[in-house]
Amino acid sequence: MTRNLYQPMNAEIAETIEESPTIKSFVIVPDTQFKFGTGQFVELTLPGEGEAPFTPSSSPAMAEKMEITIMKAGRITGLLHECGKGRRVGLRGPYGNGYPVDEFAGKHVYIVGGGVGLAPIRSLFLTLVDRIGDFKSVVCRFGAKTPDDFIYKKTLFGDWQRLKGVEMKLTVDKANGNWDGHVGVVTTILDRKDVDIASAVAVVCGPPVMMKFVTVSLLNFGFDPKRIYLSMEKNMSCGFGKCGHCMLGKYYVCKDGPVFTYEQICKYPNIWE
Amino acid sequence: METAFISKLKPLVNAIAESMDVYIPAKVGEHYACRKYDAKGATEPELNGIRTCTPAKEFLFPLRELAAVFPEPVSPKQVKPFAVVGLKACDLRSVEILDKVFMEKDFEDPFYIARRERMFAVSSDCSSPGESCFCNILAGKPYPENGFDLNVSHVPDGFLIQPGSPKGKSFLFAHAALFGEVPDALVAERARFREAAQTQLVQATRDFPFDAPVGEIVERGYTSAVFDEQARTCVECQACTRICPTCHCFYLYDTKQQDYFAKMKMWDSCMRIGHAQVAGGANPRKMLGDRLRHRLMHKFAYFFERYGIDMCVGCGRCIDAETGDVDIRTVLKKLNDELLAKGQKAVKAAT
Repeated sequence: MTRNLYQPMNAEIAETIEESPTIKSFVIVPDTQFKFGTGQFVELTLPGEGEAPFTPSSSPAMAEKMEITIMKAGRITGLLHECGKGRRVGLRGPYGNGYPVDEFAGKHVYIVGGGVGLAPIRSLFLTLVDRIGDFKSVVCRFGAKTPDDFIYKKTLFGDWQRLKGVEMKLTVDKANGNWDGHVGVVTTILDRKDVDIASAVAVVCGPPVMMKFVTVSLLNFGFDPKRIYLSMEKNMSCGFGKCGHCMLGKYYVCKDGPVFTYEQICKYPNIWE
Repeated sequence: METAFISKLKPLVNAIAESMDVYIPAKVGEHYACRKYDAKGATEPELNGIRTCTPAKEFLFPLRELAAVFPEPVSPKQVKPFAVVGLKACDLRSVEILDKVFMEKDFEDPFYIARRERMFAVSSDCSSPGESCFCNILAGKPYPENGFDLNVSHVPDGFLIQPGSPKGKSFLFAHAALFGEVPDALVAERARFREAAQTQLVQATRDFPFDAPVGEIVERGYTSAVFDEQARTCVECQACTRICPTCHCFYLYDTKQQDYFAKMKMWDSCMRIGHAQVAGGANPRKMLGDRLRHRLMHKFAYFFERYGIDMCVGCGRCIDAETGDVDIRTVLKKLNDELLAKGQKAVKAAT
């Protein structure tokens, strides 16, 4: 019989990490090796309950385990948040196209992320950092609702700020505690002089409303719609372009995406909904 | 062996039933539905003049099926060979469409393929196309030309049996004793019947003349208000998509059994409000008009672009099944008329 596309691979939650009040990361160890490309996604099954799509937040270079960062948003993610170390889960995938990292070579990579959108971006970021010499620069602009809502705080506020070839700015919608950084939505820390737009690509991932306004800003700065890469969040269910739930115009987000250039999808209505 | 003649259907169906289960159309109320054939039964099998009420997809992509068992995977049950009798040209085309999806290279659906490979397709000509049939608008014909193992055509005093595949040919060869020679007159009769059915179809669809290819009509009408207007009476019963022989959206869900977990696959519908909704609540197709547009765009533009074939065969099942009076022909006609009006306006402006 042909390989069963619907069969999940068995895996185990090895560790859980509290990232923010609503977001947790899960370190998952598949029973057999599982390779993925940065930006590709997996379907994570909670046996007997259901499955949901997530883009791993770890580097694809780490073969024996992967990390998935999950925000509590619905029934399955709520149940996943109750799972601890040792819980058996299922994995299908990887699915989709992922980020075309090789096409980014020789360019400035301008990464704009918000909220849990930093999850796929972390995987991309770690991939870029591994070969940082290939890019003119990696410029990051990340936002969160409050300082507590930032995920990956330890590295985000620490090591990542000091990496050679990386320039990073953070902002929060609302400050609290000891926050002495910028306050304002993420578009307020974007500047057309951040990168040389003629030799840059932009990568955007975050809540739909943030992606919408960031895309508008990038277009205003003069970014070519072909060079704005968006990670689209749709209802990916089967993962291989058959079940129809994730269709965005003619595209199956699960198979043709989840990473699209703005040029590919701008003609369709309601892309941000 | 080429086309053969048989005076009664029963010996033919019994011969098929010797080696496999046979599903054959039976009249249920005013429609036909496929029932398992009982070779010992006394009744003479009946040939359906029009497509069955239920679509052929149910034999290949059933309403609900087991998609995976875990943590310990089990091998799926072997599918036994089976025959479906009375498939129409539109049904065969719908199977061709589903093949594109479920047999796509690198993404093959093993359950579909297992059934597809074991299905023996016995089609037949349409002797009485229905009022909702519109296959002729989509380049269809009321008689099959390919995609079958055997095709049956009703002619005076019997049936012409035409093989359409090596499987069909070897069946005829193996059962040669059942069949007689085909007089030329009967072939001419078949052509006459086929022409009559074609004329009937043309008559039934006379209110729906289109001035451009359907794909173009839908694509150029993308922003038209017709979708919202036509969706106004839709009650979201989703019958249109579930009974559609080409619609193949499905829903995956997980269940807990006593000693294993299962992943199930079940028909779904893009006309359902939650179809495209994500966990955070966002929904790109909240409005019924958006969903109707998506359904038609998928059928006539997106699918065509991806697979080079329309995802509608003009069987008219969606029209018969509709609770809310949404008629796909009317939607297309209104889009066509809008396009025509736009064109005329442009010509006027240019002159």
